[in-house]
Amino acid sequence: MGKSILIIDDSSTMRKIVNRSLRQAGLEFDTVFEAGDGVEALEILANEKPDIILSDINMPNMDGIEFLKKKGADPSIKDIPVVMVTTEGGSEDMVEQSRSLGASGCVKKPFTPDQVNDVLGPLL
Amino acid sequence: MNFKDKIIEATKEIFESMIMVDVTPGEALTEPVSKFKCSLSAMVGFAGFKQGNLAIHASDKVAQGLTGDFLGMEVNEINEDVQDAMGELANMLAGSLKPFISSDGGKVELSLPSVVHGEEYTLTVINKADWILIPFSVSHGEFLVGLELKKQ
Repeated sequence: MGKSILIIDDSSTMRKIVNRSLRQAGLEFDTVFEAGDGVEALEILANEKPDIILSDINMPNMDGIEFLKKKGADPSIKDIPVVMVTTEGGSEDMVEQSRSLGASGCVKKPFTPDQVNDVLGPLL
Repeated sequence: MNFKDKIIEATKEIFESMIMVDVTPGEALTEPVSKFKCSLSAMVGFAGFKQGNLAIHASDKVAQGLTGDFLGMEVNEINEDVQDAMGELANMLAGSLKPFISSDGGKVELSLPSVVHGEEYTLTVINKADWILIPFSVSHGEFLVGLELKKQ
């Protein structure tokens, strides 16, 4: 069975860039799910169990931190690894908080495909 | 490193790593620009220890071209993709500048990006602010990156 990933970002552009970077990094996924915020992500996770999740931190409706809290409370999805995506100057507090809530790593924008591979590769 | 060098460094890094596009900086403008025609401006605000904003101003043609480069597809109108892509560029630039802006020790937070587009519009310049506006050239034409910080 092929691998799958869930990309969560309120920017459709970033979802496409992440998707392209994954391919350029040699990380092939048979299925790529996309969500615009944590609410949409949880709706997808009710039916799908991707191998890994890549989530923005700052999003409207439900941000990455709140998403991690909800995901961690659901036994059916709590073990799916999550890598957070944030801007270079993003809140260090939120990055730390995401780690304490179980995030497996963090990718900072702007990123290169190699940097994405360095963080996601070992988790697959 | 001064603001001009930091803006140039951050802009080049973002364009070269995320869009694979070379950008060439020009000389910083000596007068602020507030009136735009057939253009798009993407802005992110700074709040907290320092207040101000980071903005990218591009003509419709350049904004469409940059979005096309970003997404790997042809873009012929100012649509949601263009507004989203330009907003994301402003967001990444503001994020890259944030550690430099808050280097005096105070906490600075970023707003979500906002985008203005129109045939003719005027942006209000912050009263009593330090500002810098740098033009960058790409194959599609020229765009401006501006930083305004309220004087303390």
